[in-house]
Amino acid sequence: MSLLEMKGINKSFSGVQVLRDVSLSVEKGEVHALLGENGAGKSTLMNVLTGVYTKDSGSVVFDGVSYDNMTISLSEKIGIAFVHQELNLFNDLKVYENIFLNKEYTTKFGSLKKKQMKAECKKLFDELGVDIDPDELVANLKTSQKQLLEISKALFFDAKLLILDEPTTSLNNSEIEHLFGILNRLKEEGTSFIFISHKMPEIFELSDSYTVFRNGQYIGSGKIADTNAEKITEMMVGHAANNGELYKPRKYGDTVLKLDSLTGEGFKDVSLEIKKGQIIGLTGLQGSGSSELLQGIFGTAKVYSGNIEVNGAGMPLNSIHKAMKSHIGMLPGNRKENSVVQDMSLLENMYLAEHTLSAGKFHINRGAEKKKFEDYRKILNIKAQSSDDSILSLSGGNQQKVFIARWLNTNAEILIFDNPTQGIDVGAKEEIYALILKLAEEGKTIIINTLEIPEIQKVADYCAVFYEGSVVKILKHDEIDEMTVMMYSTGSVV
Amino acid sequence: MEKTKKSGSVLGKIWSQYSFIFVFIAIFAVYALVSSSLTWSGVMNIFRHTAVVGTLALGMGLICITGEIDLSIGSMLALIGGLSVMVFNVTGSIIATLLFTLASGAVFGLVNGFLVGVVEMPAFIVTLSTMLIYRSASQYICKLVPKDLIGNGSSVYKMNQGEGFKEAYNSLFGFGNGKFFTVPVVGILLIIVTIIFVYVSSSTKFGKKVYAIGSNKKAAGMAGINVQLNKTLVFVIAGVLTGLGAFIWIAMNGSCDPATTGKSYEMYAIAAVVLGGISMSGGKGKVVGIIFGAMSYTVIDKIIVALKMDSLIQDAIKGVILVIVILIQVAGPKLKESRLFVKYFKK
Repeated sequence: MSLLEMKGINKSFSGVQVLRDVSLSVEKGEVHALLGENGAGKSTLMNVLTGVYTKDSGSVVFDGVSYDNMTISLSEKIGIAFVHQELNLFNDLKVYENIFLNKEYTTKFGSLKKKQMKAECKKLFDELGVDIDPDELVANLKTSQKQLLEISKALFFDAKLLILDEPTTSLNNSEIEHLFGILNRLKEEGTSFIFISHKMPEIFELSDSYTVFRNGQYIGSGKIADTNAEKITEMMVGHAANNGELYKPRKYGDTVLKLDSLTGEGFKDVSLEIKKGQIIGLTGLQGSGSSELLQGIFGTAKVYSGNIEVNGAGMPLNSIHKAMKSHIGMLPGNRKENSVVQDMSLLENMYLAEHTLSAGKFHINRGAEKKKFEDYRKILNIKAQSSDDSILSLSGGNQQKVFIARWLNTNAEILIFDNPTQGIDVGAKEEIYALILKLAEEGKTIIINTLEIPEIQKVADYCAVFYEGSVVKILKHDEIDEMTVMMYSTGSVV
Repeated sequence: MEKTKKSGSVLGKIWSQYSFIFVFIAIFAVYALVSSSLTWSGVMNIFRHTAVVGTLALGMGLICITGEIDLSIGSMLALIGGLSVMVFNVTGSIIATLLFTLASGAVFGLVNGFLVGVVEMPAFIVTLSTMLIYRSASQYICKLVPKDLIGNGSSVYKMNQGEGFKEAYNSLFGFGNGKFFTVPVVGILLIIVTIIFVYVSSSTKFGKKVYAIGSNKKAAGMAGINVQLNKTLVFVIAGVLTGLGAFIWIAMNGSCDPATTGKSYEMYAIAAVVLGGISMSGGKGKVVGIIFGAMSYTVIDKIIVALKMDSLIQDAIKGVILVIVILIQVAGPKLKESRLFVKYFKK
C-alpha cells in the first residue's frame, strides 16, 4: 500500500482552474520526483497536501487514513513536512531553538530545559551525520547546513514524508553529495521524499520514481529506471504549437554590444556579441544566471571581471549611470518592485530616467514633457486618459509600455528586457512582442530574458541557454524549440 | 445623481490634497473668535513667530518625503546659533555671520546625510545621536570659551553690542524685528524660502527624484537615480535651512541659550510636516502644506495666550490637535468602508 495517495484533485483560484483531476502516489521509502515546468501545478498540489490551500475536490489518503479537511498543523502532526526553497528558519535564534520553536521542553514553572533540548538535538545530528553545533546562531550557518537543519527539524518530529522544493539550488557539488548521502540513508530507513527539481542529472541520481504535470494536469508517472531525460522533457513540454508568425528575418548592422568573458554575481565567463537591430533571447531556469547577467550589464548586480564594449568602446562596469550614458536601458523584472513609482503620475514615471541624464538642466518644462508623452502614447499605444493619472490606474501591460517609453525617452539604443511579460494578460503579451519586433526593425538592439520559451521563439534571432551561470548553448531562431531549450537548461545534454 | 456623486469626489479630492488649508482656517477661526482684538499686526505676527520653526520644517519636509527623519535640527539650531554669535562677536560682520550659519549648517547636515545616505545607517538612530551631540557641544562650548567671546554672559551666547559692534548689531536686530510695509521682514524671508522650496519640490528634476526615492527607492535606483547622493543632499539642505533658522533666531533675539534654544523644535517641525499632509513613509504630500502646518501651531500658541491659559498646556493641546487631524486622515477612509457607514449613508 502506498504511503500517500492523492486522487482526482481539483483546485481553482477565482475561476481559473490550476489543478485538473491530478493524481500522485508515493511509496514508503522512496524518492519520488515531481516534475513539470514553472506553473505546471507542482507547488499548488504540495500546498494542497500540506493544508495551505483547500482542495475543491478529490481524495487524500496518507498512511491508510483519509483526510478531507487538511490543515497546516494537521499535516505536520501526521508527519508531512515541507522543506521550502526559501528556508523557514529564524536567523537570530540558535540551532536548537529553531528545532524546538513552539515545542519547547519546559519545567513545571515554565522555564526552558535548555540542556535537555541541546542534548537531544546533538544526538539527532550525530545519528544523521550532520555536523552542526546546536548552540550556533542560524545566521552563521552555510546554506547547505540550513538545508540540513530544516530536514533534521522535520525528522525530529517523526516526519514520514518530506517535500523537498529544489533543495540544491544554492548548494555546491560536494554539499549536494553530502545531502544526497543523508537522503539515501533516510530512505533506506523508510522515510519517503517528494523531490521537486529541474536538474535532470540530480533527478536521475536520486529518484526512484516520477510524476509529470503540465498545465495543471497529470501527464504520466513511472519508475525512473524505465525512462530517460529526453522522454521526461517531452512529457513536461508537450507538443505546444509554435506560432511564430510575427517574426520576420531582418538585416542587422555592426556589432554594438560585446561581452568579453564577463563574470559576476550569479554568472560566469559569458561572452556574447550582439549586432545592431538584433533581438537575442536569454533563458534558463530560475537562478541559472540569465537574469543576473542582464543586471550585471546594467550595473545593478556586481561584475567581478571581464569587459563590456559598446560600439567598440569599453564601458565602465558596475554603474547604472555609465550604462545609461552608453545608451543602455533596462526594463527590470518584477515590475511592481523595480519599475513602478506608485505615488507618481504617468508623466513623472516616464521621465524619471531621462531626468537623471539631463540633471544639469534644473527646471522641468512640463509643456514639452507632456507633448513628448503624447508622442509615445501614440507610438506605443498606451491606453491612458491623461498623463497626470496615477501609474496605478493602468493595467500591467500599459504600465509596462510606460516603462518602455521611460527608456526610449533616454535615447537608449540597447534595450534590456527582463521577464517583460510577467503578470500581463495574454492580449497585452502579444502587443509587447509586436512592439519588441517593431523596435528592432527601427534599429534598436534588444536583449530579452524570459523563462517562457514560446516568447523567445516568437521574437529572438538567436537564443543563449544558461545552466548554472554559464551559456551552455546558442540556438539560432530556427533551432529554438521548447524541447531543445529544456534539455540544455536542465543540464540533460552538455 | 451622477452629478452629486462627482462633485462629492472633487470635494473629497480637494480635502485629501489640501486638508492643511482647512485645518489652518479652522484653527485661525477659533483664534479670531477668542481673540478680543484681532489686529492686522497681530495676524502678521503669525509669520514672524513661524519664521524659525517654518524654515526648519521645510528641511524636515524634504527629508520626510524621502522617507527619512532628522531629530537633530533643534539641537543643531542651538549649536549653530551659539557658534554664529561668537563669529559675530569676533568679526562684527553680518555677512560673515550669515555665511557661517549656512556653511556650518551644511557641514552638520552632511554628517547626518553621509551616515544615513551613504553608510545607510537608520536615520532615527543617527540623528538621535547627533541631537545629543550638537546640544551638548553647544552647552559645553559656551562654558569653555573666554567670556568675552559670548558677550560676557553666563551660560548664554550674547551678541556684542559694544563699541565697534553697535552698528552691525542694530542692523541685524532691525532685520530680525523690523517690518517692511507692516509685514515682518523675517516673515517675508520665510515666504521667499517657502516659494523656493515649493518650486524645487514640484518643478525641478531634483524635486522629482526626492519624491521618487521616498515612493519606491528600488525603482528610483533602477531608473538611474543616485539614491545615496540625493539622500545625503536632502540632509545637507535641511542643515543649511537650520543654519538660516539659526541666523533668523539670533537676529530676532540677539542671543542664543544653548540649553533652551530650539528645544523640541525637531518635534514641532515633524508635527508641522505631518499636519501639512506629508506622509512620514515618504513619497507623498505637498511642500506648501508644511508652512500651513507650522502656522497652525503658531496660531495655537496665540489662542492659548488669548485665553490666558497656562503656557505649560501648549504642548498638550498641540499634541491633541495633531492626533485628531491624523485620526481623521487615517480613520476617515476606513470609516467610509465600514459596514455601519455603508448601511446608513450609502443607500
